[in-house]
Amino acid sequence: MTERNEPITHGMSSALPDSGGERLKLSRQKPCIEVDKLNLFYGSTQALKSISLTIPEKRVTAFIGPSGCGKSTLLRCCNRMNDLIDTCRIEGEIRLDGQNIYAPTIDVAELRRKVGMVFQKPNPFPKTIYENVAYGLRIQGVKDRRVLDEVVEKSLRRAALWDEVKDRLDANAFSLSGGQQQRLVIARAIAIEPEVILLDEPASALDPISTAKIEELIFELKEEFTIVIVTHNMQQAARVSDFTAYLYLGELVEYDDTVTIFTNPKQQATEDYITGRYG
Amino acid sequence: MNDTARSEAQSSGGFLPDGDARRRLRRWRGVKDHFARYAVGTFGVGVIIALALIFVYLFSEVVPMLRPAGASLEGSFAAPGGVDTETRYVTVNRHLDLAVRYTTDRRAIFFLPDTGTITHEVGLPLPADAEVTAFTFAEPRTELVAYGLDDGRALVAQHRYNERFSQTGRQYRPDVVFPVMDGDDALTVVDTEGRAIETIGLQRGPGGVSIAAALGDGSVRLVRFQETTSFMTGEVTVRRVVHELPRLPQNALATRILLDITGAHMLVGDDRGFLHYYDIRRPERATLVHSKRVIRGEGAEVTALDYVLGTVSIIVGGSDGSVSQYMLVRDDDNVNRITFVRDFAPHRAAVTQVMPEYIRKGFATADTSGLVQIHYSTSARTVAREQVGDRPLPVIGIAARANAIIAVDDNERFHYVDVRNPHPEVSIRALWGRVWYEGRSQPEFVWQSSSATDEFEGKFSLMPLTLGTLKAAFYAMLFAMPLAIAGAIYSAYFMSPKLRGLVKPSIEVMEALPTVILGFLAGLWLAPFVEGHLPSVFSLLLLMPLFMLITAFVWTTVLAPFVRQFVPPGWESAVLIPVVLFTGWFCVSLSPYIELWFFNGDMRQWLTDVGITYDQRNALVVGVAMGFAVIPTIYSITEDAVFNVPKHLTQGSLALGATPWQTVTKVVLLTASPGIFSAVMIGFGRAVGETMIVLMATGNSPVMNFNIFEGMRTLSANIAVEMPEAAVGGTHYRILFLAALVLFVLTFVLNTAAELVRDRLRKRYSSL
Repeated sequence: MTERNEPITHGMSSALPDSGGERLKLSRQKPCIEVDKLNLFYGSTQALKSISLTIPEKRVTAFIGPSGCGKSTLLRCCNRMNDLIDTCRIEGEIRLDGQNIYAPTIDVAELRRKVGMVFQKPNPFPKTIYENVAYGLRIQGVKDRRVLDEVVEKSLRRAALWDEVKDRLDANAFSLSGGQQQRLVIARAIAIEPEVILLDEPASALDPISTAKIEELIFELKEEFTIVIVTHNMQQAARVSDFTAYLYLGELVEYDDTVTIFTNPKQQATEDYITGRYG
Repeated sequence: MNDTARSEAQSSGGFLPDGDARRRLRRWRGVKDHFARYAVGTFGVGVIIALALIFVYLFSEVVPMLRPAGASLEGSFAAPGGVDTETRYVTVNRHLDLAVRYTTDRRAIFFLPDTGTITHEVGLPLPADAEVTAFTFAEPRTELVAYGLDDGRALVAQHRYNERFSQTGRQYRPDVVFPVMDGDDALTVVDTEGRAIETIGLQRGPGGVSIAAALGDGSVRLVRFQETTSFMTGEVTVRRVVHELPRLPQNALATRILLDITGAHMLVGDDRGFLHYYDIRRPERATLVHSKRVIRGEGAEVTALDYVLGTVSIIVGGSDGSVSQYMLVRDDDNVNRITFVRDFAPHRAAVTQVMPEYIRKGFATADTSGLVQIHYSTSARTVAREQVGDRPLPVIGIAARANAIIAVDDNERFHYVDVRNPHPEVSIRALWGRVWYEGRSQPEFVWQSSSATDEFEGKFSLMPLTLGTLKAAFYAMLFAMPLAIAGAIYSAYFMSPKLRGLVKPSIEVMEALPTVILGFLAGLWLAPFVEGHLPSVFSLLLLMPLFMLITAFVWTTVLAPFVRQFVPPGWESAVLIPVVLFTGWFCVSLSPYIELWFFNGDMRQWLTDVGITYDQRNALVVGVAMGFAVIPTIYSITEDAVFNVPKHLTQGSLALGATPWQTVTKVVLLTASPGIFSAVMIGFGRAVGETMIVLMATGNSPVMNFNIFEGMRTLSANIAVEMPEAAVGGTHYRILFLAALVLFVLTFVLNTAAELVRDRLRKRYSSL
């Protein structure tokens, strides 16, 4: 088993950020989202158990772990998408810029504008490419065509899609390929200038080339946005993230900078998982 | 082959059955597969064939109506009874096996219409010394004719076929009777001074026979024979009254006198192309009301003039070949005026005679070039024509069932023309256009298929029925669409799954409610209730949304912090149940007071005063009742469409900071639009085809308006109402089938259009 896994491990280490010398220290980062003793229940089953972690600003944080470990659930807690599930109940706090997003005074819609989300499967609306990107702005009441044009172009450029679609902005979004659709969805998310972008396995439904493009994009986007990504693909986590949290059975097993997690994890469980002994 | 080999190889040790068993299984599976494929195919094709057969059947019942009429010359023969005397009148009985010819030389000759063989001959009791100076006939169905003599006397004769049925078949013992007797004398004196009768008119009205005559000196007389039946003995006594009528202006000479069957009107045609209308309701004070030139051609003369059945429409044939219809139409001062109605296909030569049919509003015309044409007044059609030689045809006769014509030329040769003209009433214009019916002041769309009298003009406009269908469907949709669609969106998108599991099946069960019950409730309970509580309908319309909004406001601002935790999410709507009940009760109990305060105590009366017609069974009631019937259809399909909008789309929208409401309006409705559209169209199709509710709750009056307070008659209800009493194979019967076909086509076109639109929408808005 180990032998078979070695080349992968090797590949992973080569994918690690080059900044091996000056490692990012979690404690030195400016916090963006603070999760504080978060318990989450689906009916009577507890899906997240007393999770506490701090997601730093303008960095990429990856959640990894085997299927069903709660990483997607944790991600969805950050913009309260779990509210849509009837049986879901939450204890504890998540603070965005110091404010508890589960406080009754919070406007959920405004929270979700600040904390955008991209799903596993590309989900463009059945509208034109232009209208997809402009959707969030229209929701916010922007009607000025000039502003819309400008933001649509800017967002598509930032999502590295502009050159591919600039001549067919009025085409249906479904005419795009899967990878293009996913970048369109990212463009749609960044058009409303969120602080945080949550990526829920954004490349798992895509081919390797599209995946590479998305990863490049993530690398560029962290200049401006705090990014949280859930991924099954550990190479991807290693390639794109600055910090990595390993969750297992609803518990946070280990959370540190990515290089540490992948080269020198403190927990045996983490080691087992990243070397493929688990999973 | 490869598979087989492999499977056999594997069969040695595995848990799978051995090769043979698997081969058998494969073969059996193949058989089942084939069977399923052909069975499904057969049933599918069967459905299509069944539908096609319905269409074919409907069409086959309609087709005979569309076939053109025909007239063909069957034979010619010399006039039975001799060619040296003139034929005055000729007609054929209903079985086409006996005809009668009246001649100038005082004979009535019965003969076989196809060969001219004489069967009987009757000499008319006219004095040999007097000369026949005038002749006329009453409505053909009365079988009355009149001779006028140069000594001021007249003879009214009636031929009777006297058919009997025996072992050998039909037998006739025809005779001629004289219904108007002067003592024992069959002759009646019109002018005691013995002036010659130049022109004579004859009609049988409700009171008895009337004769009108223009005498040689230009005076006009009306002789009424009033029949009175003694209640005690049943004896009929005839009283003869002579009235002197005003003369024609400017010494015009009367050429034709027409008396109508009501005894109220007399029309006189003169030698200058004018028609003069006399009001003879009170003959002693008869007046010449109106004169009008009824031939438009310069220098043309009126050469033929007659009533069609019912003696309302007058057909004028001119020396220029024109054939036109005139009627007496009341003007704004309530005075009858001779009014032009329509033209028929003209002849190329002068028209010689207009001969009305016995039992329909059709008539035949003949001209001096030997052409016979058959027209129908209501449908404004010239249905058939036949050239019967090249000699003028001074006289034509028509058979009792209008299925034969005898044309007589100036050499006294009889031409027997066979006529096939079963459905002259139908034309595109008669079915779909405005038609000027008898007794109306202008062209209108009217459906009135039957009446108590024989001379009734069938009015077969499909417009009021089609409009009624659309009206009923429109109001039903107006009621059902907002409720069903909004309800569906709410239950699919906002309601808790548990409540949805209660609500959705309950609404769908409503669909199983027999519509006859809905119609029954609507007609017998709702209609009177609405009539009695009219203001409550409108106050409900205003107050229900208002109260709901107030409740919602109070709920979110005042109650929510305290009660919120007791009401699970998605159950908020249950709070509205008492509100809805209260509002309903409130509006109904407020209704009398509103009537008192705003409508002088009676809103219905108030509406009538304002000039709005109010029927108890009206579009409002039908809208509610039929809306009730279509709500489940629309609701169910819309609900499915909205519910099936992929979750990742709604989540995507919510994740972009949209509120649930924004998500519904901007993403969910858009994505579900094909489904919602087809729901609406299917609902509309159902409303169009619905029969029982409209039958019971509309009043079935075929009116042409969209007034919500008036009823309507729909195509479907019309078929249900009239099919049992339509004569099989008749025009009415076939028009009902045409109505069914129209309904079929209407729903077919609607559904096809809907399917096309839906397909386009689906292509545009489908998501994965």
